[in-house]
Amino acid sequence: MKISKKVALGVSAAVGLSLALAGCSSSTPSASGDGGGDPVKMCVLVSDATSSEALGFKAYYTDYIQSNFNVTFTYSDELADANAEKTAMEGFIANNCKAVISFASADRGQQIQMAEDAGIFYSVATGTLPEDQYEEFKDSPSYIGAIGPSLDIERQAGYDMAKYFVEEGDTTFAIFGGGIPYYIDMHIHRVAGMLTALAEEPSTTYGGQKEFGAILGKIMQDGTIKVADFSSDVYELSGYVEAWNFGDSAWQANLAGVVASQPDAILAAGTGFAVFGAAIAGTDIKIGDIDAYTEENKKAMEAGSLAYLAGKFTSINGPIFAATLSAVEGSPIRAEGDTALALEQGYWVATSVDQFTEYLAADTAENPVYDKESLEPFIGTDASYDEFAQFVSQYTFEDLVG
Amino acid sequence: MHDLTTTTRERDKKSAATSARRRDRLASLAPLAGLLVLAIAFVLVGSLRGVNMAYSVQTLVNQSVIIVIIATGAIFIFAMGSFDISLGASTLVAAMTGALAYNATSSIWVLLIVCVITAVVTSLISATLAAVFNLPVFVTTVAMLSVLGAVAVALVQTTGGAQIRIDSSFAREYDTLEMKFLVAGVFILLCFFLFNVTRLGRVEKLIGGNPVTAKLTGLSMKKTAIAAFAIAGLGVGLGAFLTVLRTPTLTTTTATDIGMNVLVAMVFGGMPISGGARTRIYAALIGGLSMALLNQTMTTLLSESSAGNGIAQIVRAILFLVVVWIAVAGHRGRLLPR
Repeated sequence: MKISKKVALGVSAAVGLSLALAGCSSSTPSASGDGGGDPVKMCVLVSDATSSEALGFKAYYTDYIQSNFNVTFTYSDELADANAEKTAMEGFIANNCKAVISFASADRGQQIQMAEDAGIFYSVATGTLPEDQYEEFKDSPSYIGAIGPSLDIERQAGYDMAKYFVEEGDTTFAIFGGGIPYYIDMHIHRVAGMLTALAEEPSTTYGGQKEFGAILGKIMQDGTIKVADFSSDVYELSGYVEAWNFGDSAWQANLAGVVASQPDAILAAGTGFAVFGAAIAGTDIKIGDIDAYTEENKKAMEAGSLAYLAGKFTSINGPIFAATLSAVEGSPIRAEGDTALALEQGYWVATSVDQFTEYLAADTAENPVYDKESLEPFIGTDASYDEFAQFVSQYTFEDLVG
Repeated sequence: MHDLTTTTRERDKKSAATSARRRDRLASLAPLAGLLVLAIAFVLVGSLRGVNMAYSVQTLVNQSVIIVIIATGAIFIFAMGSFDISLGASTLVAAMTGALAYNATSSIWVLLIVCVITAVVTSLISATLAAVFNLPVFVTTVAMLSVLGAVAVALVQTTGGAQIRIDSSFAREYDTLEMKFLVAGVFILLCFFLFNVTRLGRVEKLIGGNPVTAKLTGLSMKKTAIAAFAIAGLGVGLGAFLTVLRTPTLTTTTATDIGMNVLVAMVFGGMPISGGARTRIYAALIGGLSMALLNQTMTTLLSESSAGNGIAQIVRAILFLVVVWIAVAGHRGRLLPR
């Protein structure tokens, strides 16, 4: 086809104008909320956008919170590394986000610094800041804080899960280490907790160690779990898998080998059923997981594959949202010494289908336990830190549902 | 009778030549027109949506400068009709070695020099392997991609962790617009000089346009390839330097998208992938800026849509095809046999 000047410039102009026209068209209204004024624009950084847990958290924010509060949420794409996080933050700041809630942790220090430089608020959901970073940023007015499982809670979660299976009489275990090779602290602490529980048996050690601190140090040094370093007269560590390299044939072979070793239970640091569910179908192998209350995990428990779940519930990120919105509205909740929040929340543990079903039904995106009524007293009010901390600390099923 | 036929034929030839020249000019102007249109759209959309324009412009520079620098250097490779698939991996390894060197010395000059030397060395390895074994350069860069990936993993493991970090306050101090403009300005001017003023650019265009003819004229393909890869390596090294300053936490996934982004930037800038006479050294600058403008505009337009990322990817793909079509359609059937 011959190109004429008209055609070429016409195509360029059409492209440019279509962008402009799209910008002129009204965007999908996404906030009803209550109260007048423009909705508060909150932006969310995510490193996982597709898992059931992530989708559940997003549904709570975009479906329930957005409908009941005067806010809009803008989500990032799935962020793979620190550069992607920085690019996403730049987009958020350029598009006038008032606050960023972060589920991405490749470089939190960079995120907080960018928020501070831009004069917007920043908070961490379902996680914590390492001690040194908390000390660095705790006095920043931009940094609201973190609400989520502390590393001690992660350790305890792994410990309790392993203990459960030991008390059930299981002796052969495999471990899924999740993000251990990427030095994801929560996964490392969970697995260290598991090994510590097993090491309570007198003949059992990992790397010659029995205490949590020493086991943790060894895992941090190795960056992985070495099956050969597990020693016991009672228990057997029949296999170990880490990461999510589904496209790697060697990883797949290792996973198949772990299943073939026929452990009594696979202790998973996270996403256990997503990784092993298909592979263990038709076997008697059980999975213990530290994950979330989702329909997929419910089906797994109904099928008998999932025997233990320490899970985050869907609306667990309600309090950090409340603290963030309160800060945007000029009533930040600060800890003693005008420092950022560092509050713990733990998991709901289910070991039966009935329990799981009850937990799942009690907290949904449509009817969350952290609903508008429970969150409103802490948004834009003179609620004290102690009152808020007390509220956050009551996270168990019994506390919230009764 | 003879005169009438001859005159008509001559008129037809002149008309065809004029049309061809117009098409050439149009094809070369199209990327610039595209940049202009995208800039207008960026300003319009940003103004209508009330974005922070000052910050947006700064973000434009931040997000485009590394790609522009690396792509400008890569033009020397692509001009010859070669292809380097390992640019992203080279950038990563150069950034990692530079960061490790900085951590050992706390010197920005060491960071810069190590980044550049590492990148130039890896580039020259590709070129030298191709020269020694008489392989297409593309093949050696494919091998280097795998090797560099493994090197990156090994480098990360030297820290006992999954990341290589430098002091973020140091990085922030030097991650400034002034630094970016300085590095980019100096490198682009150097490349402009080398490509348009010295013989190198003309030789590369000839090699890219017709390697058979180039060989028969006695040009040294190997020496030219080595020079091209060295310059490209310099670009990668400078890009790695800025990458470390921009993102002081490096993992094995850092810079993985640079290879594709460089390619897209060059195409958006009107660079023919087969190289040759139509190669323009400024293609990377135009293309890099165009990409950044498009990304920013898409982000603003689609930020509240749950399908925003998908739509943005489709728009980019459509624009990519349009640009290539405009650039190629005017020259269809006029390529010399290779």
